[in-house]
Amino acid sequence: MASKTKNRLTAFLLGCSCFCITYVSAQELPDWSGVWAMNGGTIFDLDTKTGEGGSTTPGVREHPPYNQEFEAKYQANLDLRDAGVFPDPNSYCGIPTGYPRLMNLPDVYEFAVTDKQVWILTENGPNVLRIYTDGREHPSAIDRWPTHTGDSIGHWEGDTLVFDTLSLHSSESGNTIIDRTGLILSDAAHIVTRMAINDEGLMEAQMTIEDAKALVSPWVVTKRFRRLEEGSRVYDYACNENNRNPIDPNTGWTYTIGPDGQIMDINPGQ
Amino acid sequence: MKSLRGMTITEAFKQFFLLVIAGSFFVGYSAYSHHSNAMFDQQRVVELSGTIKEFQFTNPHTWVQLMVEDDTGKTVEWSLEWGSPNNLGRQGIRPSTFPPGADVMIKTYPMKDGSPGGLFIGARFADGQTIGRWE
Repeated sequence: MASKTKNRLTAFLLGCSCFCITYVSAQELPDWSGVWAMNGGTIFDLDTKTGEGGSTTPGVREHPPYNQEFEAKYQANLDLRDAGVFPDPNSYCGIPTGYPRLMNLPDVYEFAVTDKQVWILTENGPNVLRIYTDGREHPSAIDRWPTHTGDSIGHWEGDTLVFDTLSLHSSESGNTIIDRTGLILSDAAHIVTRMAINDEGLMEAQMTIEDAKALVSPWVVTKRFRRLEEGSRVYDYACNENNRNPIDPNTGWTYTIGPDGQIMDINPGQ
Repeated sequence: MKSLRGMTITEAFKQFFLLVIAGSFFVGYSAYSHHSNAMFDQQRVVELSGTIKEFQFTNPHTWVQLMVEDDTGKTVEWSLEWGSPNNLGRQGIRPSTFPPGADVMIKTYPMKDGSPGGLFIGARFADGQTIGRWE
């Protein structure tokens, strides 16, 4: 009887300690629950913006520390944007947005914190950025290849998530851009992001971007997100559901489909 | 009120309240598209008077299909592009906001080439209820 009681007590204490470890572990992670929306428009680097308007407004641009080669490429993209024919991969529907552009989207966000991964979920797209916080390293160079979101590993410094992202598609592949002014990076991009809720209650993501092929110095960009009222919902986003805006593959012009299912407007470039 | 037809007073009040909030929000609203807006003339506002045929509450954009009588007496269907159903839904807009058959005035940035389409700005129903941006 005494032995049975002792066993039960041991099992109880073991259960309690497991519960406590799990509980403490969960308590150490910050509460990032809820639905969030980006502050500001879809200009990626508001701190270096010149001109009035948004990312599609002629004359508006940013000033990343590009080298001469990439500044020329950016200028060429700006010219296409001004003509309304810049080829934004998102306009074609179906291609993931990729990092870091997925921190620069309209619609809403969720930041899902678990003890081994953090997921940044974007309604627009939709997109998922997986950040491994379980202590793993990046795959070796031979074991990784460029993808839209690359490979992200991170750790917690108090309530701040610090993560390191590489192995991203080059913008020159046509797979990804950073915003619709035509900002681009190369496949050498390496981004260190620090994310935390600031004193104003905003989620702040500070990205330090290095790119040996495109930049002459680190480019630091901060995006901020506000928490929407409790009970806010996230919905499906299906870009091909009723996309009435096909792109002319030759000119980049965006057409409009009329009620009869046919293109209704004229491409002024033709 | 056309969009409030068939509702209880509480539901109607709730819907009205949501639309007021949505109306306030859209004062500074700038539509985000997944595509270029180069086809729209955003320097010019056209006001249309017509009858709702359909409100396509779909991704990536919602579309208001409006039947409008032109100067020759011919009825033309206009396609007016608006925001995503997701964002509009969070701001109180519903598939029932534009019921088929409702008479409405709509402000739009028209297509540059004169096609019967445009970017939706705002709407005003006969009873004075407004949706979106209507100054």
